[in-house]
Amino acid sequence: MGLIDWLVLLFTLISVVLYGIYKGKSTNDIDGYYRSGRELPWYVVMLSVMGTQASAITFLSAPGQAYTDGMRFVQYYFGLPLAMIVLCITFIPIFKNLNVYTAYEYLEKRFDRKTRSLAAFLFLLSRALSTGISIYAPSIILSSVLGWNIYLTNFIMGGIVILYSISGGARAVAYTQQLQLIIIFVGLILAGYLIMDMLPADLDFIAALKIGKDFGKMNIITTGMTENGFNWNDRFNIISGVIGGFFLALSYFGTDQSQVGRYLTASSIKESRIGLLMNGMVKVPMQFFILLLGVLVFVYYMFHASPLYFNELATNKLKETSFKSRIIELEEEHIKLAEEKKIHLADFLKNGQAVSKTKLDEVAAKQEEMRTEVKGMIKTSGIAVESSDTNYIFIRFVIDHMPHGLIGLLIAVIFLAAWGSISAALNSLSSSSLIDFHRPFINPNLSDKQEFILSKKYTFLWGLFCVVFAQFATGMGSLIEAVNVLGSWFYGVILGIFLVAFYVKSVGGKAVFYAAIAGEVVVLSMYFFTEIGWLWLNAIGAIAVLLFSIILQSVGLKNRIAQ
Amino acid sequence: MNELPDNVNEAPPLFPKWSYWYVFVIILLLVEIALFYWISN
Repeated sequence: MGLIDWLVLLFTLISVVLYGIYKGKSTNDIDGYYRSGRELPWYVVMLSVMGTQASAITFLSAPGQAYTDGMRFVQYYFGLPLAMIVLCITFIPIFKNLNVYTAYEYLEKRFDRKTRSLAAFLFLLSRALSTGISIYAPSIILSSVLGWNIYLTNFIMGGIVILYSISGGARAVAYTQQLQLIIIFVGLILAGYLIMDMLPADLDFIAALKIGKDFGKMNIITTGMTENGFNWNDRFNIISGVIGGFFLALSYFGTDQSQVGRYLTASSIKESRIGLLMNGMVKVPMQFFILLLGVLVFVYYMFHASPLYFNELATNKLKETSFKSRIIELEEEHIKLAEEKKIHLADFLKNGQAVSKTKLDEVAAKQEEMRTEVKGMIKTSGIAVESSDTNYIFIRFVIDHMPHGLIGLLIAVIFLAAWGSISAALNSLSSSSLIDFHRPFINPNLSDKQEFILSKKYTFLWGLFCVVFAQFATGMGSLIEAVNVLGSWFYGVILGIFLVAFYVKSVGGKAVFYAAIAGEVVVLSMYFFTEIGWLWLNAIGAIAVLLFSIILQSVGLKNRIAQ
Repeated sequence: MNELPDNVNEAPPLFPKWSYWYVFVIILLLVEIALFYWISN
């Protein structure tokens, strides 16, 4: 990073923090702090919802995903627009008409306090841990690539955001997310334009896509069908994308307070609905273009030598072990293969011969073998780096090939994306702590002013917890994986509770509470004892709670009649 | 302190005037899938 990068990075980050503090200045009660006074227009709600969902890892990981596995990842979002429709029909009008602060507040009115507390507790647990990881995950990547101190990076990633989250609450969160997304889009559009500009002059956009397609990267639609039938473990195909993605999006947007809290800020039911529907319309094309960046990076490396392994820190550390000579050997071989690839590619583009395509495929297979060998070395050597470099592909490309200034802007993009989701998470953790636990269990008689002060304290405490958790996450690889799947353990069950609440009116609090516990046992059993992909766990959890609660309610009724 | 009204079980009409929006979102998704299918093949 050069001086200009540092200036761009610091200017962007400081501007966003100051903007957040300025915008949140008028907040002086908990209605303003948690719901922005219910006055935001649909476009701020849409950008806020998008900014909450898109974390730093979204922008780091998606292009790398397209580079290695192709564009099929986009199918994961196909269920999202459908979920937005269900939210508009049922969730939004009920939440807005009831004038609630949190989604779980509704559950007490519909069922009882223990069901509300169970759902709110599961939310606090999974959201707090995953926010810690959403601080740590991009920090470890940036600190590896740029040589920064991991603890300091964690602090900037998760600590600074506490400043405006505390002072301005939901209003500051929403308006900064709006600014953050504008900067993120500008950065990504510039990056896409420059990648195209770096490709050979005679290669236009369509021709670049054609190369991506020839090498299997434009596999946008896949069915998941194999010789042995449907592959339930395959996350990214049209069936799991539409069905599994629908349940995931419904759980996330409908029952996760970090999202519910965003559309509760809208000035009316209409503004909430337009915001969410627009999110549904924009999300798929947006992910398509982010993934397309990965395909363009792939095409770039067809004409230029790519690194042996995109996480340079890993290869450098391996050079300090007994694998040193093997790594150097692989690097030399990799450069030779890149030269070979250029010759075959020129031949393929000129004459379109199948022979050159076969040779290119052989080169790609050899390069992939080398990457796998490096991954194996990382595991056996026990060095403390991630054994996958997919998340490093795009940022490595940016650092190595983008002009100064844009490097600073794109690193700012990563921080801003992280801040957008972290600030929303802190605001929602605070609202659920105060509204769902403090008010009913600790002190129901607080004045408005006392509640407002307490809301800020809870925001600070959760911010502190998440940053401290991120600091401790360093070196706990298996724990991080566990936290990443934690959401999928609970999301489906919480969704099931809400679906019963909305659509099965005969079911009462007792039946749904025990159905939720039974549903959780089913989800955990499926996770630990079967090979099913985690995307399906949401659908299984929701359907299990629906079925169990209907059965328990009808059994209970029969018993009462018998008595 | 906000008071919750008693009408929590009263869901709004299933298909109000918003139905046009919903149909549009579904058609847009289908068009995108068709376009992606065309690009993929």
